[in-house]
Amino acid sequence: MKRLLPFCLVSCVAVAQGVNPAILLNPPADSWPAYHGDYSGQRHSRLTQINPQNVGQLGLAWAFQSGQQQQIKASPLLVDGVLYITVTDNVWAVDARSGHQLWHYTYPPNKGFHIGSRGVSMYKDWLYFMTPDAHLICLNASDGTVRWNVVVADSAKGYWTTMSPLVVSNHVIVGVSGDFDNLTGFLKAVDPETGKTQWRWDSTPPAGTPDATTGGMTWMTGTYDPALNLIYWGTGNPTPVLNGKARPGDDLYSCSIVALNPDTGKLKWSFQPSPHDTHDWDAVETPVLVDGDFKGKPRKMLMQTSRNGYFFVLDRTTGESLLTTTFGPVNWSKGVDKKGQPIPNPDKEPAPDGRLIAPDEGGLTNYRSPSFDAKTGLFIVDAHPSYGIYFAKPAEGSFGWAGADYGVWGKAVLDAIDYQTGKIRWSHELGPNGAGAGVLTTESGLIFTGDAQGNVLALRTADGKTLWHAGAGSPMQSSPITYELDGRQYVVTSAGGVLFSWALPE
Amino acid sequence: MLASLFMQKSLMTLLATACFAMAQTPGVFLQQCGFCHGRDAAGGEEGPDLTRSKLVAGDTGGDKIAPVIREGRPEKGMPRFSLSDADMAAVVAFIHDQKTKAEAQVGKRRGVEVADLQTGNVAAGRTYFNGAGKCASCHSPAGDMAGVATRFEGLKLEERMLYPRGAKAKVTVTLASGEKTTGELVYRDEFTIGLRDSARHYRSWPTSKVKFTIDAPAEAHADLLAKYTDDDIHNLMAYLQTLR
Repeated sequence: MKRLLPFCLVSCVAVAQGVNPAILLNPPADSWPAYHGDYSGQRHSRLTQINPQNVGQLGLAWAFQSGQQQQIKASPLLVDGVLYITVTDNVWAVDARSGHQLWHYTYPPNKGFHIGSRGVSMYKDWLYFMTPDAHLICLNASDGTVRWNVVVADSAKGYWTTMSPLVVSNHVIVGVSGDFDNLTGFLKAVDPETGKTQWRWDSTPPAGTPDATTGGMTWMTGTYDPALNLIYWGTGNPTPVLNGKARPGDDLYSCSIVALNPDTGKLKWSFQPSPHDTHDWDAVETPVLVDGDFKGKPRKMLMQTSRNGYFFVLDRTTGESLLTTTFGPVNWSKGVDKKGQPIPNPDKEPAPDGRLIAPDEGGLTNYRSPSFDAKTGLFIVDAHPSYGIYFAKPAEGSFGWAGADYGVWGKAVLDAIDYQTGKIRWSHELGPNGAGAGVLTTESGLIFTGDAQGNVLALRTADGKTLWHAGAGSPMQSSPITYELDGRQYVVTSAGGVLFSWALPE
Repeated sequence: MLASLFMQKSLMTLLATACFAMAQTPGVFLQQCGFCHGRDAAGGEEGPDLTRSKLVAGDTGGDKIAPVIREGRPEKGMPRFSLSDADMAAVVAFIHDQKTKAEAQVGKRRGVEVADLQTGNVAAGRTYFNGAGKCASCHSPAGDMAGVATRFEGLKLEERMLYPRGAKAKVTVTLASGEKTTGELVYRDEFTIGLRDSARHYRSWPTSKVKFTIDAPAEAHADLLAKYTDDDIHNLMAYLQTLR
């Protein structure tokens, strides 16, 4: 009995424990307990069962059909052998070994924008789900029943929500969307037990402040450094969107990366990828946290491939710039200032007769995750070299979009950026227009992503060579995850409304 | 019961019902279409202004709009939507309603008027066409470009000038046997090449098993994008608009 007891304790704890702070700080191999998989946002897995030698044998373990018209744009969570996946208004719990459905929750019909859901987040045995009409729903993970439902923002004013909240200790940190109106962006920390607001941080001044911007929406999940106790968040474009005259100056803190204390919401530092943006280039792309050498000195870094076409490396303790460079065609700036921030060229603001701008409105990359591979020092990103034409005229006013823009041309490439120099070590063509797939790297030297036509790809991290592919019927509009259960590694990707789980033959 | 009754009704009947309902609420349009096409259907993130759309102008009771919604426009990033007949009718009615409203507005419209694109210089545009732009190496004002300004105008003309989406490309595939097949390029990804041959038959091969060369002259437009100044574009537009 004495011998059995420790085993029982271990296995009992491992069977059903939900998500606690220890799991989020150091996620076990049999979990993907948060949007990015861990707090770093590297979307890099230590798993090595699937490797460059055997990936050619990868096959379908199972598929889950959501039965919905909407495309999956969410990253699934995996906790205690159960996957949680969403599309707008819908959450499913799915057996991660077989793909069969355990329960399905449907949010009541509502008038919010139904543009996507990036997934749920989890604290203990509770799931947190955001809705098109800007509510935060707390669900019981065991059966999908509603525990509480709180309003995060007023959807009647033009807010909506899509993001997967960031859970840090006893805070559920939520952000909002809403750039069709002149609205203030903000982050809120919510009590996971009660739904009560703990703090609120506003990214821009209240609507109606003279000569001031609004906007700076907070629609993507941030990252967290437990040692510095700082969360890192990207903010969206200013409003009015294409007319910058109504909001002179830099328009802080729109298009910014901010470091906040998760317990108080107090700002520690900020860095602005797009001062005075007039092209809708949200700086919400994952702020990836990396500890490593930078030009001979150990650094705690933050890296972002930003929608505006720039790759930034910052010291995340202070916000000091270490490297600023472009990773594709960019024609809207006059260079970089002393702080490492691009200087917008006023001649490239939208105009009545049009301005040709690189990249286009979708940006050189967008919300799907990049990945960082420490072994090769490569930052891997789904890039969209592109051009658009931007128009704005006084008659269009200074509210909401306040102009018009049109994509002209674009293509999709996977770029591997050397983080110390910003140079692109290799590029892998992914097809016309854009691919939009997120990126996962694994410690065995593999990349999982997708192309513009709907192929799921496994590439060798070192040189970008294709080692495996499968036609999934529709481009991946989410970011892949991986986990190991019962000694078997699974890679989960989505296409359309279907979730695919890939594994080696048993 | 309600659903089955709806199925038997024609789209036109539903349209009449929906028109009334839509006057109060944008409903399905707002939820499913509003993010890209704007709450008022006059353009949003990436989606065009539907109130100025030629397709909408030529639509009767959804005969043009509904197929686009059902099939999507994957090449432009628009997904397919499978709406119920009732929802489809509501969306169609809403778009027509917004078009009527937008046309009643004078001088306050978002979007691009033909008059906005008249800031260029015709002579400079002609010089660019024949010189730096190398347009004349493929196009001729008396040949393929004759009357181009009567076929396209304003933003449509400028968009086609910058990059003609959907322009046909030719591909020649050489099989392992040495046999060559030439046709219109229909599909290409990293793994598959597909063409329509002279008999209009579709044929495809794994890219690893064949050699192929693609002749896509329109791609020269993409190469120019990095070279244009905004003045070059406005001047070229001015010149093209003289080709009537």
